[in-house]
Amino acid sequence: MGNKQKTEKNLKRRIVKETAKLESESDQSDEEDFLNVVNNEEADSSDGDEEIEDSEDENNEFTEEESEADSDVLSAGGGEEEDADEESEDIDDSEDEEIDEESEKDESASDQEDESSGEEELQNESDKVKTKPKKGSAIEKTSDSSVEKTLNKSKTTIDSASIANVFHEYDHDTSDEEDIRNTVGNVPMNWYDEYKHLGYDWDGNQIIKPETGDQLDAFLKKMEDPDFWRTVKDPQTGQNVVLSDQDIELIKRIKAQKIPDVTFDEYAPWIEWFTSEVEQMPLRKFPEHKRSFLPSRHEAKQVSKLVHALKMGWIKTRAEQAALRAKKEPEFYMLWQTDDGAEDMRRIHKHISAPKRLLPGHAESYNPPPEYLFDAKEIKQWNKLKNAPWKRKLHFVPQKFDSLRKVPAYPRFIKERFLRCLDLYLCPRAIKMKLNIEPESLVPKLPSPKDLQPFPNVLAIEYKGHTDMVRSISTDKSGQFLLSGSDDCTVKVWEVNTGRCVKTIVTDSVVRSVEWCPNAALSLVLVASGQEVMLINPNVGDFVVSSKTDSVLREVPKSDAAVPERVRTTVQWAEPDEARYDRGVRISLQHFKEVTQVTWHGKGDYFASVMPDGQNRSVIISQISRRRSQLPFTKSKGLVQCVLFHPTKPCLFVATQRHVRIYDLVKQTLLKKLLTNSKWISTMAVHPGGDNLLVGTYDRKMLWFDLDLSTKPYQTLRLHGTAVRGVAFHRRYPLFASGSDDRSLIVSHGMVYNDLLQNPLIVPLKRLQDHDDFNDFGIFGVHFHPLQPWLFSSGADGTIKLYSN
Amino acid sequence: MEVSSECQLQIRLITKQGLYAVPDVPLSVPQTIDTKSLNDLVNQLLKEANPEFLKPKDFDFIVIGELLRVPLIEHLQERSVSTEVTVEIEYIERTPAPEPEDSLLHDDWVCGVQTADKWILTGCYDHSVNIWTTHGKIVTSLKQHTNFVKAVAWIDKSDPSKGFVSVSHDLTGIIWSIEPGTDKIVPEAILRGHERGVDSVGVSPNASRLATGGWDTNLKLWSASLEEDEPALKRSRGGNAALVKTPLHTLKGHKEAISSINWLDNHVVCTASMDHTIKFWDAELMGIKSEIVGQKAFLSSSWSHLSNALLATSADRHIRLYDPRSSEGAVCKTTFTSHQLWVGSVTWCGYDQHLFLSGGYDAAVKLWDARSPRAPLYNLQGHQGQVLSVDWSNDKYMVSGGSDNSVHIFKNKHV
Repeated sequence: MGNKQKTEKNLKRRIVKETAKLESESDQSDEEDFLNVVNNEEADSSDGDEEIEDSEDENNEFTEEESEADSDVLSAGGGEEEDADEESEDIDDSEDEEIDEESEKDESASDQEDESSGEEELQNESDKVKTKPKKGSAIEKTSDSSVEKTLNKSKTTIDSASIANVFHEYDHDTSDEEDIRNTVGNVPMNWYDEYKHLGYDWDGNQIIKPETGDQLDAFLKKMEDPDFWRTVKDPQTGQNVVLSDQDIELIKRIKAQKIPDVTFDEYAPWIEWFTSEVEQMPLRKFPEHKRSFLPSRHEAKQVSKLVHALKMGWIKTRAEQAALRAKKEPEFYMLWQTDDGAEDMRRIHKHISAPKRLLPGHAESYNPPPEYLFDAKEIKQWNKLKNAPWKRKLHFVPQKFDSLRKVPAYPRFIKERFLRCLDLYLCPRAIKMKLNIEPESLVPKLPSPKDLQPFPNVLAIEYKGHTDMVRSISTDKSGQFLLSGSDDCTVKVWEVNTGRCVKTIVTDSVVRSVEWCPNAALSLVLVASGQEVMLINPNVGDFVVSSKTDSVLREVPKSDAAVPERVRTTVQWAEPDEARYDRGVRISLQHFKEVTQVTWHGKGDYFASVMPDGQNRSVIISQISRRRSQLPFTKSKGLVQCVLFHPTKPCLFVATQRHVRIYDLVKQTLLKKLLTNSKWISTMAVHPGGDNLLVGTYDRKMLWFDLDLSTKPYQTLRLHGTAVRGVAFHRRYPLFASGSDDRSLIVSHGMVYNDLLQNPLIVPLKRLQDHDDFNDFGIFGVHFHPLQPWLFSSGADGTIKLYSN
Repeated sequence: MEVSSECQLQIRLITKQGLYAVPDVPLSVPQTIDTKSLNDLVNQLLKEANPEFLKPKDFDFIVIGELLRVPLIEHLQERSVSTEVTVEIEYIERTPAPEPEDSLLHDDWVCGVQTADKWILTGCYDHSVNIWTTHGKIVTSLKQHTNFVKAVAWIDKSDPSKGFVSVSHDLTGIIWSIEPGTDKIVPEAILRGHERGVDSVGVSPNASRLATGGWDTNLKLWSASLEEDEPALKRSRGGNAALVKTPLHTLKGHKEAISSINWLDNHVVCTASMDHTIKFWDAELMGIKSEIVGQKAFLSSSWSHLSNALLATSADRHIRLYDPRSSEGAVCKTTFTSHQLWVGSVTWCGYDQHLFLSGGYDAAVKLWDARSPRAPLYNLQGHQGQVLSVDWSNDKYMVSGGSDNSVHIFKNKHV
């Protein structure tokens, strides 16, 4: 219900009261009436005026109330009333205390109005009013005092005052808002257009619409009634209401857009309770502490923590959070956790939850099936294990009871719980970080031999003809011919592709070492036979080359330089006689000890020969073009096993029993000493690049030295079961091979990279075992075809075998 | 393999030999039927169709382009062919087994063999070039070379009287001619120009040019004609001595020894080399036309004028069939594997585009059908050592020479 309705209602009420008062001409103030209206339920039925009753229900009611109120007020003064509401009590209290002040005010008020009041009742009323806003007080006073004297006038004023009063007093009384006379509620009143009545009153009686005259009546009324213009119709009740002067005033003010309250002073002086001005001086007397000007270390720490956390992504900015939220897909989770999943502990990392207790089985039942109950034998067994209870299958004897009720308390309960607690307490509850290394994972990942094709893997041709062990083999530069030297004192030249022996050269002694001259312009092979080293022209291939070689060698250079004594006693150059010349021998060098190995320098002019028994004269380097020999070493470093020229640099590798020394031939200095860590070196081969050396030893090992890397072996290969007697590198393909006394020939992939940072890749590829053993010897010579990925091996069985890819 | 023997296969027998045609109806045969049963079947059908067909014949059966050697179902499963459809089986008269005819004993390994008409030309490691009749009679032995004779070739296979050529490891080749009227054979010209041993020789189809190759990696072209008006010809010392010829052209390109030479036609030479390549040379423009790169060193090759395909053997136990014209996919079409060691030589049959002969270092000479890559048709046994050379220039005779110092002659009964 809006304010408008409220006012209307109040207006109506007032009008009713006015009429009632006019009729009864009672002296009582309306204020009391209103108080009593509120408290009407407890009011006794008292002297109600019959005259009022017959006029209208509503009026009747009100008049009743008024009368009741009268009695109330009277009784209130005596304090007899039982259920007086709080407010009235308060008023009563204040009454006694503030009498003096009020009377003073009253006096002043009455002075203004030229009226005085001596009656207690009125004073009481005014007192009540006084507790309310002051603005109304003057009016109230006047109204109170004027009640008796000027009826009409005073009534209106009292009314207005009382309205104000009532409004404030019953501000929260919502019943006031409803139209208490008509009970139909807030329904459109046009629903009652067809009926005589207009809703129902509290007693359920119809509220009869007032008689409305025709237009003539209205006109007459207009003419006659001076208040016609201020008569309005109450839509709720259908009654005509005459507006009071004050109402008119109020309406006028509202229309004029003024403040409806006449008494409100718009232009009262402004009291500034809270100043709007900014004060210049602080309120505190003492100055700011120095600390307050220094940046807070604690805060800085907090900030840095936050910044760090932001940086590490532990906390997110709002934008990031929003982005995350936007990105996040709906999360699903198990409604119930499974038993087997490890439960998450917030603080313990990788927490192991306590093991779950086993669920009780049938044996634990109070009424187990009979097969679970112990028979005599089981009881005996149980008793036997008394001293070793952990060996028992069950830790208790199953018992049978008729009912659960008869089950006694379990005597070991506390103890078992305690033991379990102990178990849990002593159990290590974190996952132990144990490093499991599979042995396979330690083996380096090597490429599959399939990917390293081509390499020799199939026996293709056997070269048969030698009758004794073939100690050494070599090929010519084009790979057309194969040279072999054997213990049957012959050197044979073979056609590689067919296995045909092209030439056999008989020598005087066991041939221990042969090598084809690396210079393609010379048709020469170097043969170490007994104490003699021979340069033989095999006279195969290009006859121009071989004839040229013959002519070159025929011219013996004359040199005046005297041969040193030491050299002369070691080696003697000789021209072969006729018979040997026909056999192909062109130059013969007679050594003082048995020569076990000869090797060419890469250019084919120098060659070196090794006499292990020669002590400090065991290595001789000879030069064909000048027919000259020299002894590079003056001191014996040990039993020299093998020497090799560096393929590109003027260096000499000298292998003694235990070490390999590398000498610079130009500077005549020791460059490096390689530590083999083995007892007896048998042979060695140098990689065509010159930076890698392969050493075979009698103690079954093969050592790969990366000369740039270290003086220790880069890799030690234990592929053979017995002494390694031959090793070789392929000149073109990344292959190397080794032959040993266990008759096996092992082909390996040995890739050397130009990149200094990358170590050589060594992959054993294939074991070939075709030679027969003879006197516990297996394979002696190992040699690769210069162009094809083919491998030759010579064995103690007198054969040479070719393996092709 | 869970094949129940009751399962039947639908087959249709076809043939290109009208003589042996059978009614073209689909037949139902057990899945596991093999060549022998099929043979009986065809003979039965032939007998039904033609009552006069009395003598049973042997047939070979071609299924999906390959000769049937295993039970039919296995053959199909290996090639993952559906057994639901009707299988077409072509049958041909089986190549009859060659019969060993004779063995010609030499003093040393025989490295080059070629027949023409009834003459067999052999090159021997004892530096001799010999001519034998097909009946095993030696006609002549010529010892002019000073080193192993590695290859021999008739100038014109159809007319032996035009002479022949032999190449040797003494760096020369010799063109021999037969003096008309007499049986006297004289060295007509010496081919001098190679720096290393000459391994192979080929004569152009029109008999006008020779190509030789060897360990000096150069292919040299020579004129085969004996006219003396050519430049750079001179009589070598001695009145009756031969002319010395120099090569018309020297073609460089190979990196290693040339092991085999074939003339495709009068203008194209094909060389197989140890440097893992086969090169096709244009003999007119003197350049490389095309090239086949293999995995291994080539030892021997043979060009078929019938099927325009090249057979080559490498330093392994396989024979490979190359189709130089194929542009997509592998140039190697088929691999024939049966030899145990290197295959020293291979040669096509002159009259059948599917047959060829190979000789291996495992002392075996094998007769192959190009449609049967797994197994040869026949193993021709007799050699005791490596077979270095085989020849089928005369359709009637398959000839092979080896390191057992002998030449074996097998008579081809098919012709």
